[in-house]
Amino acid sequence: MSVKYGIMTLLYDKKCHGYELKIELDQLLGSKGKVNPGQIYTTLDRLIRDELVIPLDIDEQERKLFTLDVSGKTELEEWLLEAVPYHSTKEDFFFKWICARKIDYANESQMLEQQKSMVLKEVMDLTKLKTDLLIKGDENNYLLITGRLLHLEADLNWITQVENRQTKP
Amino acid sequence: MIKVSGLVKSFTQGKNITEVLKDVDLKIEEGEFVAIMGPSGSGKSTLLQLLGGLDSPTNGKIEVGGKAISEMSENQRTIFRRKNIGIIFQNYQLLNNLTVEENIAFPLYADGTLDKEKMKEVKELIQAVGLNELNKKQANLLSGGQQQRVAIARSLVNQPNVLLADEPTGNLDRSKAEEILLLLTQFHKKNNQTIIMVTHDIFAAGFADKIILFKDGTIEQIISREDENYAQYLANFMA
Repeated sequence: MSVKYGIMTLLYDKKCHGYELKIELDQLLGSKGKVNPGQIYTTLDRLIRDELVIPLDIDEQERKLFTLDVSGKTELEEWLLEAVPYHSTKEDFFFKWICARKIDYANESQMLEQQKSMVLKEVMDLTKLKTDLLIKGDENNYLLITGRLLHLEADLNWITQVENRQTKP
Repeated sequence: MIKVSGLVKSFTQGKNITEVLKDVDLKIEEGEFVAIMGPSGSGKSTLLQLLGGLDSPTNGKIEVGGKAISEMSENQRTIFRRKNIGIIFQNYQLLNNLTVEENIAFPLYADGTLDKEKMKEVKELIQAVGLNELNKKQANLLSGGQQQRVAIARSLVNQPNVLLADEPTGNLDRSKAEEILLLLTQFHKKNNQTIIMVTHDIFAAGFADKIILFKDGTIEQIISREDENYAQYLANFMA
């Protein structure tokens, strides 16, 4: 799970201070656990160094505020549109999708479409591999691939459900 | 090879003429496993029926193994089909009161070619589809997956060069569907038969070498694994 992109999502259209980022990032991650405050500040330092986040003045309660630079916005949008390879685990795509929802990302449909295409490629490749394995008599690897295909089927169904709900009036 | 050119099929109801297939051109090489995908009503099952000689086209030409079946009479088509084409349907289409063995042997019986030697081949087929212990069981007492296995064995009993399958896994759950598709693939690899399978299911289409995307009575695209963007085409088509 990327703390970097979580922070960038939260700073996409508003200014936040460090503690606020921690609270909202915990919410964004949902059941995936809490983020260590130290991790927030070290990530912020790196984002400032890379000129993706701009540190602002302190607020009335003397807390330092941060905002996303234009280059940060561009990088976040590029990340959202990048399909997640299956081997990196589907959880990463769910996180990316929730970030997109958080910022009302205009290209969500394209993002879903690209992920669908990634899943379909995996389906086609693994189905061929699975058949070859079975014909060779490699039962164990055949069963492992079958398991991965069942996960892919669930992912594909989920993307279709999101798309269907998007098109509802 | 299967060669289709300028294929048109229309149905007339009263004054209304519906063109289900609109000028379809297609070539399928011998030994290819091809899936045809498309929305309901797009004409894919009609195409399969025409390829199997179950119906005749309104216009155009269909050649199977160099023979123009579109120019044959209904009787000639039936004889040609029995010898050269096996067909598998979504709803199995077995003779319910006959046993597994009788259903599989039925095409030979109908042709008058059932003898001891052929009966031995029937038994080998029963074994190949994993129904050895059920060979004397009546077809209507079998599960959906078992009935489809019988239908596959029946379609192969005449050792056809071409196997047509119309949604062969449409009534089965994922694991039963998988068994049927693997069975088809194993026969395909062993006998180098041409398989043309109509399906809605991308997981079934994944077994094929090539996918024909069908829409509104025409071929929208033919994609193979070698195409760099085939997954993108599929995703767009399924959107």
